Amino acid sequence: MSLLAPSEGWFQKKVAKDERMWILIAFAVCIFLFVWMIMWHVVGRQNPSNTTYKTNPTEFAQLHDAYVKKNMIGMDNGIPVVKPEPGSDVILMGQMWRWSPALILKKDEWYNLHISSKDLVHGFSLQPSNMNFQIYPSYDYVLKFKPTAAGECKILCNEYCGIGHHAMIGKIVVIESDADLAKYGYDKLSAAPADYSSSATEEDISGWSNEQLVKAGETVYNLKGCSGCHKTDGTVQIAPSFKGLYGSKSKVSDGKSTFEIQVDDAYIETSVTEPQKHIVVGFEKTQMAKLDLSANELKQVTAFIKSLQ
Amino acid sequence: MFRTCDITGFKVDLNSEKFIRLNAVMAVVSLLLAIVAAILLVFTRYQPVHLLDAEWYYRLTTFHGLNALIFWIVFFEIAGLYFGSTVVLNQKFCSPLLGWVSFVLMVAGFLLVDVMIMMGKADVMMTSYVPLKAHPLYYLGIILFAVGALLGVSLFFANVVNAKREKNAGETLPLFTYGLVAAAIIAVITLATGAIIYIPTFLWSLGLIEAMDPAVYKLVWWGLGHSSQQINVSAMVSIWYLTTFLALGGTSINERVSRSAFVLYILFICLASAHHLLTDPATSSAWKVWNTSYAMYLAVLASMIHAFAVPSSMESAQRRWGFNKGLFEWLAKAPWSNPAFTSVVLACIGFGFIGGTTGVIFGMEQTNIIVHNTLAIPGHFKGTVVIGTTLTFMGITYYLIPLIFRRKIVAFKLAQIQPWLFFFGIAILAVSMIALGQLGVPRRHWDSSFSGGPFTHTFNPSVDFFWTLMMLGGSLAFIAALIWVLQVVVSVFFGPKITGPQDMQLPLSPLAPAAKEHKGYEAPGTLVLTLLFLATFAVLFFVNWKWLAATWWVK
Ligand code: HEC
Ligand code: HEM
Ligand SMILES: [Cu+2]
Ligand SMILES: [Cu+2]
Repeated sequence: MSLLAPSEGWFQKKVAKDERMWILIAFAVCIFLFVWMIMWHVVGRQNPSNTTYKTNPTEFAQLHDAYVKKNMIGMDNGIPVVKPEPGSDVILMGQMWRWSPALILKKDEWYNLHISSKDLVHGFSLQPSNMNFQIYPSYDYVLKFKPTAAGECKILCNEYCGIGHHAMIGKIVVIESDADLAKYGYDKLSAAPADYSSSATEEDISGWSNEQLVKAGETVYNLKGCSGCHKTDGTVQIAPSFKGLYGSKSKVSDGKSTFEIQVDDAYIETSVTEPQKHIVVGFEKTQMAKLDLSANELKQVTAFIKSLQ
Repeated sequence: MFRTCDITGFKVDLNSEKFIRLNAVMAVVSLLLAIVAAILLVFTRYQPVHLLDAEWYYRLTTFHGLNALIFWIVFFEIAGLYFGSTVVLNQKFCSPLLGWVSFVLMVAGFLLVDVMIMMGKADVMMTSYVPLKAHPLYYLGIILFAVGALLGVSLFFANVVNAKREKNAGETLPLFTYGLVAAAIIAVITLATGAIIYIPTFLWSLGLIEAMDPAVYKLVWWGLGHSSQQINVSAMVSIWYLTTFLALGGTSINERVSRSAFVLYILFICLASAHHLLTDPATSSAWKVWNTSYAMYLAVLASMIHAFAVPSSMESAQRRWGFNKGLFEWLAKAPWSNPAFTSVVLACIGFGFIGGTTGVIFGMEQTNIIVHNTLAIPGHFKGTVVIGTTLTFMGITYYLIPLIFRRKIVAFKLAQIQPWLFFFGIAILAVSMIALGQLGVPRRHWDSSFSGGPFTHTFNPSVDFFWTLMMLGGSLAFIAALIWVLQVVVSVFFGPKITGPQDMQLPLSPLAPAAKEHKGYEAPGTLVLTLLFLATFAVLFFVNWKWLAATWWVK
């Protein structure tokens, strides 16, 4: 009995015909499901990959930067665009709060996507196809994809990654032939500035003109992910806009008091190297990530911010 | 100190009664906090209203998850464990002092966690996947709560052992307590896993540990997160059997079968955490398939066994009471005016048809690709843990109020419709969340217009319909849950005192008469219902695999 000890002979009681029948059916269903999953690895076309490499966020970010510098063919709303060769290895990085780069893929071709995160755990959610994978920092998840339909796809983030999580959205365009590029406005992409690849870390850039610096700085802005949070058109959601920032006064807090501070080269430098030192009032909740910029890149991005008056 | 219950005849230890009451009160408080947060979440995700800002949306999602899934359920389960190990066994509470220690630890943990979340120090979701980091006091709160709960579980074991030793319990434990023992064993395993993951995370948040591996964290965390759901299932199924007994005087038609199913839970459930990692890197397909299938679905099998055993225990009792016509007279003539009975039947239906079907399908390695981290996942566990566990707990409370709190239920008519309202509310909520998720809508996501992002995305236009449906279902469920909370609070504090059996509003059925003799089918109606369940499952199975097959190829 449910509340009393069971009645005499409960252990010997035969299982009723209908109950026995149900248990057998249920058992058969269980075995069926088990076998089905294994069979799908043989005959099915959608199976989570088994290839993972251990990496670390810094290493993967370097990989991403190098990959994008080498292959980008233009920019789409602050996100570099890459058109990888079919069958090639593609680097896709999630970071707070963007997916980079945007990709142009050919229908019915295979691509090896290496996906990892620069900071937190993210969720790769391909829409409208609706395929979802978990992305970690420190693990390079290699997913071999073959797009089966042409059209514009988005990559949402569906693992919570901080206050700007909802704004983390990337793009994949699937084309049948290059003629399709026009449909997506990708036919007139301007390739990276000529001296883009030379915004290298070691090179001496003291002789560069301001124009060169600004151009390279824009690329740093896009490549390093400043664009994920800071806009250049005056709109503010996650972080202060860069428009008109340079030369203005910022109201900041250092944890003890709030005060105004002049936005100049030195301030931008500390903003990047020690993001937590001065927190802009009104943005206490959205934390700026620490991004490693070389001295050259810092100089270039500062020139770029300066140019946005 | 014992009192002898004038209604059931059980000897009730007054200490035990006190701890049951205290834990039950904390459970109700937690549920209230959870549903207030829930309604704000519903109206945030409903884009035409978009109530909260991003910060508060994520904060309250964290708050809702913890208060509902952890605090409400665990406090209630501790109350239930005390009930099952003392009152039911005529046993005295082994150590009131430790009872207090357990309770105080749990309340301290509860307060610490909730205060930290509300102060904005722990906007990390209940899963707190590293490297997201909360304030150390948040992790400490969870640890305190878990230690308190573990102590409570140990007291349960001590009571049961004492009862056996002092021969208060009879030769074999009653099925209800047997199920609770299964729940308690799983609880020990679960809480130990919890310690393995939360203690290093706590040290990490203090800066004493350099780094935590995100994949290892998620793996071990779900050892806690998933197994704890099996505690809920075991406790819930135990209450299903209990309610059949209280309302109809029946028991499982074959106790050996039901008891073996509980053993299967203990043996196989802990492997199941793999279904949270199906689309993650770092583990192999072989590991995933083996583990997610609960070592070949043996735990699923256990649930399917209960799916037959519970309704058939009702059917068999009803038939012996003379409701023997056709396939379904037993169901039509069931005591639907008894809110505990109604709750349990509706919980069974929701648990099976919504939670169970989707759970098995979403938990298969490949179909997980089309639902992982979408709104379909919370949709699924609204079926299991909300309609199933929560409604069951709500239902059995209608017995606890007169028997433990010794009060009449105020506005009893309302109690009779409350289970229906809650059932339909959550069912609509869950089904619309599942539909939205299958259309790609993410869970834990503040703005489906993606404001501030470089691009935007427009979902299939039918999402608008389901968003509205979800808002309506959520509101209905909120109202129903609020009715329940108010009714419980008002009854417990202001309801008329019970003076004797005549005040009992819910019938306590005498034992159903013994079967004459029967040949062949013992519960044909149940068999038809379970086959109907199987057919529903088959349809959903087919649809999901069809959708999967239409996506990009991936390997
Ligand atoms: C994850 C989002 C994020 C990224 C990526 C990011 N920032 Fe920030 N940034 C913020 C936030 C939020 C603030 C304001 C709070 C603070 O001061 O920390 C901020 C503040 C600043 C400020 C001070 C602005 C003011 O109004 O005073 C500067 C300068 C700045 N960031 C530069 C950069 C540069 C350069 C990059 C790229 C290398 C970058 N940020 C990348 C989020 C981000
Ligand atoms: C009035 C009843 C309820 C309503 C209207 C409701 C509503 C919701 C909604 C809308 C979400 C989705 C949040 C999002 O991802 O955007 C959610 C998540 C959740 N709900 Fe509820 N809920 C209710 C009751 C419960 C109960 C009783 C439980 C547990 C027993 C519960 C457990 C959860 C959990 C664990 C989550 C996931 C939180 C997360 O993603 O971290 N809910 N609920
Ligand atoms: Cu995210
Ligand atoms: Cu689980």
